[in-house]
Amino acid sequence: MTGISESMSTINSLEELADKKTIIHQIHPRVKLILTLLYIVLVISYKPYDITGLTFYAFYPIILMVLGEIPFMPLFKRLLIALPFSFFAGLSNIFFDRQAAFFIGSLPITFGLISFFSIMLKTIFTVMAVLILIATTSMPKIAYQLLSFKLPQMIVEQIMLTYRYISVLLQEVSSMYTAYILRSPGAKGIKMQDMGVFVGQLLLRSFDRAENIYMAMKCRGYDGKFLYAKPQPMIKSDWMILLMTAGLLFLMRFFDLGLFIGNFVR
Amino acid sequence: MLEISDLSYSYPDGHQAIEKISLNLGAGESVALVGANGAGKSSFFKLIIGIAAASSGLIKIDELSVEKKTLKEVRQRVGMVFQNPDDQLFMTKVYDDVAFGPRNQLLSDSEVDEKVMAALEQLDILHLKDRMPHRLSGGEKRMIAIATVLCMDPELILFDEPSSFLDPKARRKVIQTLKKLTMTKLIATHDLDMALEVCDRVVILNKGKIFADGPVKEILYDEKLLLEANLELPLGLQKIN
Amino acid sequence: MHMADALVSPAVGGIMLAASAGAIAYSTYKCKDDLDEKKIPLMGVMGAVIFAGQMINFTIPGTGSSGHIGGGILLAALLGPYPAFLTLSAVLLIQALFFADGGLLALGANIWNMGFYACLLIYPLVFRPLVKKGITKGRLTLAAVLSVVLALQLGAFSVVVETLASGVTELPFTAFVALMQPIHLAIGLVEGLVTAGILLFVYNMRPELIEASAHNQKLKSDLPLKKVMASLLIFAVVVGGGLSLFASSNPDGLEWAMENVAGTAELESTGDVYDTAESVQSSTAFMPDYSLKSSEDGSAVGTSLSGVIGGGITLLLAAGTGALIYFVKKRKEKTA
Repeated sequence: MTGISESMSTINSLEELADKKTIIHQIHPRVKLILTLLYIVLVISYKPYDITGLTFYAFYPIILMVLGEIPFMPLFKRLLIALPFSFFAGLSNIFFDRQAAFFIGSLPITFGLISFFSIMLKTIFTVMAVLILIATTSMPKIAYQLLSFKLPQMIVEQIMLTYRYISVLLQEVSSMYTAYILRSPGAKGIKMQDMGVFVGQLLLRSFDRAENIYMAMKCRGYDGKFLYAKPQPMIKSDWMILLMTAGLLFLMRFFDLGLFIGNFVR
Repeated sequence: MLEISDLSYSYPDGHQAIEKISLNLGAGESVALVGANGAGKSSFFKLIIGIAAASSGLIKIDELSVEKKTLKEVRQRVGMVFQNPDDQLFMTKVYDDVAFGPRNQLLSDSEVDEKVMAALEQLDILHLKDRMPHRLSGGEKRMIAIATVLCMDPELILFDEPSSFLDPKARRKVIQTLKKLTMTKLIATHDLDMALEVCDRVVILNKGKIFADGPVKEILYDEKLLLEANLELPLGLQKIN
Repeated sequence: MHMADALVSPAVGGIMLAASAGAIAYSTYKCKDDLDEKKIPLMGVMGAVIFAGQMINFTIPGTGSSGHIGGGILLAALLGPYPAFLTLSAVLLIQALFFADGGLLALGANIWNMGFYACLLIYPLVFRPLVKKGITKGRLTLAAVLSVVLALQLGAFSVVVETLASGVTELPFTAFVALMQPIHLAIGLVEGLVTAGILLFVYNMRPELIEASAHNQKLKSDLPLKKVMASLLIFAVVVGGGLSLFASSNPDGLEWAMENVAGTAELESTGDVYDTAESVQSSTAFMPDYSLKSSEDGSAVGTSLSGVIGGGITLLLAAGTGALIYFVKKRKEKTA
């Protein structure tokens, strides 16, 4: 089935990317996490009709993707997932906001159209930012950082355990699904009335698995608490990168490069 | 080193899994525990590490009897390698998984590091330390599962089907590793050829009882005995017709 | 129903992150008290099951379309509300990172919309009371369907409120609601039936699993729970109401944008552009009480055009910079 194998390959390819050792990969995960969040906040803080300032922000993801050797293909796949709802929300602006902002020749450019493009740009930029984060920082590293952001340990444990077992479970679902399809020729998927048994089986198996895992933990002295090593401290260059990039991002927010160039050109 | 006397256990549904087993293992012995599916091997292991409670009988590890208040100590001394490494390796990084046990022993970070590195080095898998378990091959996962147990310096290790699901090369590596380990080993397996290579003694379990117990050469060469226990001669000993 | 980062404003995203963080903190606190350690690995594996389960498409009879399972109510029925909420939060974070299903800033909103209502509100207030008198096939089905439908309705409504409060869409509230609620009613019915099927199967095989969380003995002192639920509910209403008020008093960033550009722009519009603008406006009188006044004195018109040209050039520049770095890097690698 496409959903399962596709998500397995998505996870795999992102993990392979995160294994690389470029400059971007070597930046401290905490720095990347903070910068990603800052970037997203700044991008979405733009008002719907202000696309000229927004375009300046294209530099950040493009430069990072090139430096981090992240291919553009996975980006398009992610956009396919993220775009439809944004597209719909944006499209409705075209219909409901038909006030002309200006004209190119005699073609009216409406505010709705502008805000449509603004939503699309924001979607692309924010999706890119998250992609860059996960493609240059492995999931365990991110989860570790969450601990240092004082997230409760219990939820971090859950993130790690869930992440660990996703591929195991996907494999299991995929073989169960194959077995099901082989015995129901012509079926396009699992019949709705069989879903109870199908997922139910999966759940019961997983209960047993959880029991085994619990046993394995117990055998190694577990008593209700995961213990982790302290994460690596940030070094000087990490601080530099953090301060400089954050500074640049803020400056970009107050300088409208697009408008500047536009006025200059005209 | 391991003393078991009159051990019985039945499942919550009342089915008797283990019936009056008595067994002694000397220090450093390497014993194969064989028996058809459902013979009671897994239950037996669960009883030794105190995950399940016996309905009657005694288990002692060097004078330390296995009961609720001694479990912590028991699990320091006894390690278990699970049949399915995916059950055993639950952390997102190999290093963290191997370190899980030592950290629970509340050792300092540097002591933990020492133990983890030593275990990985001993098994020749140091290069895997920063990998994610789910991206490894079955053989690699098995070796790491062994490392997670090894780094706790157990006196006795229980192996549950250590050679299952492996390709010939990975199986060979596991066998070499088992041969090198000097602590007491109890190995539940269907792989009689491996038992022949690794163990000096074989215990056959059949329907929850000890069916035979003796040196590996005597038992695994006895075709009649093996057939009675729903087993067959090791492949290496079978005549090719 | 996953909201993307681009659809929330920093304020809305931040508020929802704070609300969800609060709910997570509270759940962790609750779990610490009465979670037996066996549940930790179980939660992790269940999270992975939900994740994998959502990838399974099933066919809906008579429609030719396909659906997939949600998870909040299912998890709550198997694990109890607080562990379920934590588990679902973990799943949503992983989906956001790996699949662009929702974003990082929108994570709070997504956890709230999909986790909070199902696990912490509907399960204890609807599902549990319904099966309290003893589990039967009928009661379990009713509880599952009703809970899933209600949770999805609340979630969908929240999406509407959050999106509108963020001010990114011009879609009128009523139209948005009229669109979202019925769609999610249909989805909810299908998902509820499937959830019921799963729960019935599990109940037949291992009844103790569902009974344990349905009768959650440890939370028998119902008072604090109800108090907490009530205060959370009030909080939600206040936040929601506040947000929508905020949204309606600030209906257009348009004004803001116009003033801003008008301040810096010089007059550049010609007569005939004006005429066309007015005729376009009168022919498309969607917002009758809106006038072109602000563009009359400062010409947003000309500036916006140059803005768009400049914006385009900026994008090209960014792409060019990327290409440049790429080639320099390649070159270096080759020579090295």
